[in-house]
Amino acid sequence: MDVLTLLGEGFAGALTPANLLWVLIGCLLGTAVGVLPGLGSSMAVALLLPVTFSLDPTAAFIMFAGVYFGGLFGDSTMGILMNTPGQASAIASTFEGHKMALNGRAAQALATAAIGAFIGGMVASVVVVFVAPALADFSSRFGPAEFFALAVFAFAATSSVVADSAIKGLTSLFIGLGIAVIGIDGVSGAPRFTLDSPNLFDGISLVTVTVAILALGEVIYVACLERHMTNKALIKPTGRPWLSRRELKEAAPAWLRGTAIGLPFGVVPAGGSEIPTFLAYGLEKRLDKRRKNPMFGKGAIRGLAAPEAAGNSTTGMAMGALLALGLPISATAAIMLAAFRQYGLQPGPLLFDRAPDLVWALLASFFIAMVVLLILNLPFAMLWAKLLLIPRPYLYAGITVFCGLGIYATSGSTFDLVMLLGIGLLGFLMRALDFPLAPLIIGMVLGPLAETSLRDAAMSTNGDFTVLVHGPISITLYALLAAVLVFSIRSKIVAGKRAEAEDKELVDA
Amino acid sequence: MTFPANPTSASAVVGQRLRLVSGPGAAALLKGLTMPVILVAFATYLVVGIVTMRVPEGTAFPGPQFFPGIIAAGLYIFAAVLAVGAIREIRATPDALTAEIEAARAEAAGEEPPAKPVRVDIRSFAWVVVSFLAFAFLLEFLGWIIAAGLLFWCVARAFGATRWLMSLVVGLTLSSLAYIGFDMALGMPLPSGILGGF
Repeated sequence: MDVLTLLGEGFAGALTPANLLWVLIGCLLGTAVGVLPGLGSSMAVALLLPVTFSLDPTAAFIMFAGVYFGGLFGDSTMGILMNTPGQASAIASTFEGHKMALNGRAAQALATAAIGAFIGGMVASVVVVFVAPALADFSSRFGPAEFFALAVFAFAATSSVVADSAIKGLTSLFIGLGIAVIGIDGVSGAPRFTLDSPNLFDGISLVTVTVAILALGEVIYVACLERHMTNKALIKPTGRPWLSRRELKEAAPAWLRGTAIGLPFGVVPAGGSEIPTFLAYGLEKRLDKRRKNPMFGKGAIRGLAAPEAAGNSTTGMAMGALLALGLPISATAAIMLAAFRQYGLQPGPLLFDRAPDLVWALLASFFIAMVVLLILNLPFAMLWAKLLLIPRPYLYAGITVFCGLGIYATSGSTFDLVMLLGIGLLGFLMRALDFPLAPLIIGMVLGPLAETSLRDAAMSTNGDFTVLVHGPISITLYALLAAVLVFSIRSKIVAGKRAEAEDKELVDA
Repeated sequence: MTFPANPTSASAVVGQRLRLVSGPGAAALLKGLTMPVILVAFATYLVVGIVTMRVPEGTAFPGPQFFPGIIAAGLYIFAAVLAVGAIREIRATPDALTAEIEAARAEAAGEEPPAKPVRVDIRSFAWVVVSFLAFAFLLEFLGWIIAAGLLFWCVARAFGATRWLMSLVVGLTLSSLAYIGFDMALGMPLPSGILGGF
């Protein structure tokens, strides 16, 4: 059937009053956690995961998508007004965005960011609508060996590309894989690492792990730092909250370039939208140097427009990769993959055949979410900044209570609450010692897939592991992985050499 | 250009570069070796589980022990590498005076000041952890409303809230609203505890 007909049906499904309400709730929540420094969309999705079990899947995923995109719309607000990015994906936008605000162009900066996020997200959604079905069709040819290659690709990319230190990333990944093997083995039925306790027969629930690592661990970590923090001044934007024709002309190429940089990162598991935002910022900075009067450092509108568009286009594509391949590229996407499984749905080739209603309603809701978010963020940015009036002690106390609520409501056992605290302490330690957390979540989500497909592939050939590299698809994936690794090692060496050279200059001088 | 390791963590997003540090000597050793010790403990738990596992007969290779075996081996290797790295770093740590000169030099050169080193606030840490543990065990006895209200109060205190009556009122209001919303409206079971008798 034609893609547009399917999308039309999707809109019909998404435009019901109930689903519109969930889009709105998701967008409001996402913007709120995006605006508030210290809270991110991954934490919000983790906290919502237990609560959404009483909703129907379409409503739940529409809300999740709203939160995921909303976080990226909201995160630049505080970066611009207070020089405090709401989450890591806004760090690159903060450099020039805050300088614009200091020059009295805060309102225009907020508008540039919101429109940039809108363009990036819209373009990515259009691309996803046309590419995702083809991608799903392609991945229906995947066998166990190909799925294993895909999982290895995700593991290696998340743990080594994003993390400063590959060994820390790999450690985090293996802890996640280790937690995932606890429970009854799906292939042979043997209980594993359960100490014969019925509490562990089903394994440690992914909900417990994500809430513990992303929310409770964060609360403990911030508690240890809270007394050292000082509040900064907020810039009150004045003047027209829209852009003049000249400004639009100035920003437009940057929006498009940012979108183009962000798109491919949606299918590479490199940790989400941080890297593309930095790359987009870097590109604009280099292009700016060649112009007659360079604007960077004085509040360049392009330095804000490009990373904002890049962040949202990556997220849009990431949703496509999640739906079509079952490949999560960031912690937030990994939690959403887990949510699909809780509903008995397996993202990947079969999802488009088995649950077309859900898929197309979800894709249609992306477009609705973008429009809703543009309306929420363009004129009301100052209203969102008022969220800072919530006293931080109450905010974090509320999050802690919500952690307990979610876990107790889904499991009903004290054992899970104690497990939550234990893993939360692990999350705290990993934060304090600078271990990345995303590999742990991705390892935990994709670990079972990797194990089952590895064993299925090997068993089908009586224990011959060469079957893993027989197909052309898996060989391509390993080649792609090798290319990504070489690229990341090369850029690390270049960065190291540059730092060394700078050190030398200082010593010589 | 470095990317923060944890997108949601405060060190990346609160705008100030804070870095948790420890004192020299024994404390530094403790900090460096915490993770290796945890990794070794977890790997050993996996190894014990692999050895004592009751595998059903007729399970084809690779069986249920194969994948966990790889994980355990990996964890031992990473623990060793991290431990060696930590000990090297402690040996190479400059003494306090050198560090100060270094910092002053960096500032004079107009570089971005390095992350401000701070120590773990052990009192706040204890308030959060102990109160959550107490919450876990007292929840069924006290009931959701009272237990969650008290948890809210304790965590708010850990974060430096000074008006204790106010935070208690806010906490109890929040827990009551959550009870109404989730237990009564959405049908998620929360314990009523000692309030249930009334």
